[in-house]
Amino acid sequence: MGRYRKPIQYVILAFVLLIGGFAIGNSLFTKSVVLAKGDKPPSFRLADLNSQVHELKDYEGKPLIINFWGTFCPPCRNEMPALQQQYEKWKGQGLELIGINLSEDRLTVDSFIRQIGVDFPILLDKDKKTEKAYGLKQYPTTFFITPAGKIQEVVIGGLLTEDEIEKRVERLMQS
Amino acid sequence: MFQNTKCECGHQNPIGTVLCESCGKPLDEGLLKDENAQLEMRYDGVARRSQKANPHVVDRIWNFFSSVKIAVYLIVITLIGASLGTIFQQESTLINMTERSEFAAFYKEKYGTVGVIYHALGLSRTYESWWFITLLVMIGTSLVVCSLDRVLPLYRALSKQQIRKHLQFITRQQVVYVGTLKDEPKEWVGRFGQELKRKRYRVWQENGALLAEKNRFSRWGPYINHIGLIIFLLAVLGRSIPSWHMDQYLSLYEGETRQIPGTNYYLKSDKFTVDYYNDSELANNQKGTKVVKLYETQARLYECTDACDDPLAEPVLKEVMQHEIRVNSALTYKGLSIYQNSYQERVRLISVHPTLLDVGTGEAFGTFDLLMDHPDRNQFQVGDYTLKLNDYYPDFSLDEQKRPMTKSRDPNNPAFVFRIFGPGVQSKGEIYIYFPLPNEKSKYYEQVLNESFKIRGDNTGRFAVKVENPIVDGKMNNIEYSEYTTYLNIRVDKAMPYIWVGAAISMIGLIMGFYWQHRRIWLRVDGDKLSLGGHTNKNSFGLRADVAWALGRSGIEVSPKSLDNRRNSR
Repeated sequence: MGRYRKPIQYVILAFVLLIGGFAIGNSLFTKSVVLAKGDKPPSFRLADLNSQVHELKDYEGKPLIINFWGTFCPPCRNEMPALQQQYEKWKGQGLELIGINLSEDRLTVDSFIRQIGVDFPILLDKDKKTEKAYGLKQYPTTFFITPAGKIQEVVIGGLLTEDEIEKRVERLMQS
Repeated sequence: MFQNTKCECGHQNPIGTVLCESCGKPLDEGLLKDENAQLEMRYDGVARRSQKANPHVVDRIWNFFSSVKIAVYLIVITLIGASLGTIFQQESTLINMTERSEFAAFYKEKYGTVGVIYHALGLSRTYESWWFITLLVMIGTSLVVCSLDRVLPLYRALSKQQIRKHLQFITRQQVVYVGTLKDEPKEWVGRFGQELKRKRYRVWQENGALLAEKNRFSRWGPYINHIGLIIFLLAVLGRSIPSWHMDQYLSLYEGETRQIPGTNYYLKSDKFTVDYYNDSELANNQKGTKVVKLYETQARLYECTDACDDPLAEPVLKEVMQHEIRVNSALTYKGLSIYQNSYQERVRLISVHPTLLDVGTGEAFGTFDLLMDHPDRNQFQVGDYTLKLNDYYPDFSLDEQKRPMTKSRDPNNPAFVFRIFGPGVQSKGEIYIYFPLPNEKSKYYEQVLNESFKIRGDNTGRFAVKVENPIVDGKMNNIEYSEYTTYLNIRVDKAMPYIWVGAAISMIGLIMGFYWQHRRIWLRVDGDKLSLGGHTNKNSFGLRADVAWALGRSGIEVSPKSLDNRRNSR
């Protein structure tokens, strides 16, 4: 028995270090649900109004803006035309813009989009799944994602003016 | 400190030995001072495994955890820490919040300044905090190390016991008899051994010395208890493995089917019932009050079999279970448990079955079904007429620019915009806005808006859409609605079987240790002098009774009381 004493001590202490370290580490790094600058946005797989499936990975390597919006939210409605303007201005330089609708009925979304005249892809979330994955608390929320796939900026609440959007787009295009 | 660890019997003992491992002679300085004092019999006087002359770092860490004193401190600190978590409500019980700022606001509002301090100190998450987990890990380590350091030497000591013990070892036990033997020693010792065997002792003899022992297994009780506790602690830790633990809430209105997030299961509430006791069932002081008798969700569980992750298709669901979920009667399916948590009384329209009418003649052209959630069909055939659904606003309102919009995603005031085509209708169709909710405000909207379409020339006022006979025998007819929204708690806890196993092992250990006692009797005859010592870890009275009984049967009458050595020494 005495011969194995030391190895047993080391094995047990190593186990303690491993399991204990895992447990304590877990308690130290509890993640926030809300995404922040530098985070990797969670993936999604959603259909647009033309029944085309879009995935986050389709946009890898491109500067991307994801705008979460709903027809029931006045600031979302108000910033749509400005987003469209900026999309037209920058899409030639590779900017991608997608609007993810907040789990409304296709009909409701479709008629609003036709009315406004938006031509960037509008994806339909189902049962608030993507919205929850992105930890949304307020609408609209807009994520600016670098070509490297990292969140550069999160804007909660309406951007409203084109200038405000443009400033951020420029920053995104430079990254 | 130098300590000579070699006993006079020739046995070389490890450092820290209290009683010689072989003959039992006291070695510890404290025990040598007073020759009549009772012996310290803990762990049979053997050294703890890790006691060493020159400990280095790893040994020091090991020794720290090997100390029972440290273990007691750890437990006391943990208890105090755990009690801090009971002062105010814990964050984990607040269902609808996820963010630090939300929690901070909650504690400030509910408990004031003390709440702010409580939250800032992290006590609102006591049981998930790093320091609490660290304490648990340390207790776990201490359990393993303490047990190992004591159980192995004890096992060794008990499995190779010397039969003939040092005289001092015998006469300094808690139960002692010293006397003169009149009979022939060898024969008498044999007889005495036989008597003890009848009391279910195991007896060994060697040249006029005797060792009798009973219920040694009860000594292993505490260590088995510790094994159980370690399994218990590891199982609790296992909850941090993501697939092992789930605790979330799902709201369902009657008739709604929703996916349980993070699983392949879908849940539907067919109906929610809340029932109250009537006055005859209540005690006098409760009469006239509403006391709930039943909360029940009639639930169906579905498993998705196809198109589960296809955004273009509806998932294919297969019903796997039906259950009436009540308080203390959860729906359980393959490790998933669904409990009734709460409910909300909220009327929500599900579908209507309206009729298309000719306003002038009152003629009904036919009926159709209209769903409030996902009215995905956009064309309805009613008699000769086609109703094309152009627009849908679940919660109708007007925005700043006076454009129609929906205020929310819930059908609180749904509005459907149809374009009607058919015989005698202008080629671009007739626009008709329909508000199914049977209240004045909705009907007013419907009238005003259709009037405005009429002015624009989109509507001739020829058609009307409405639910006929909305109330039959006091019940809603042609209208389907949900009265209650139920909130269900969905749990997965794969650690639970291990927690039970750990708890059961721990209980077995406790019972072993509590209800049996390890009793030992040593005896030696030197010439005609008989010396007998007995030791037990508890219930000294029982041991004395055993010894007095066996002595009595062998011709030496003594009262059990007189055997008590502890009395004499006090």
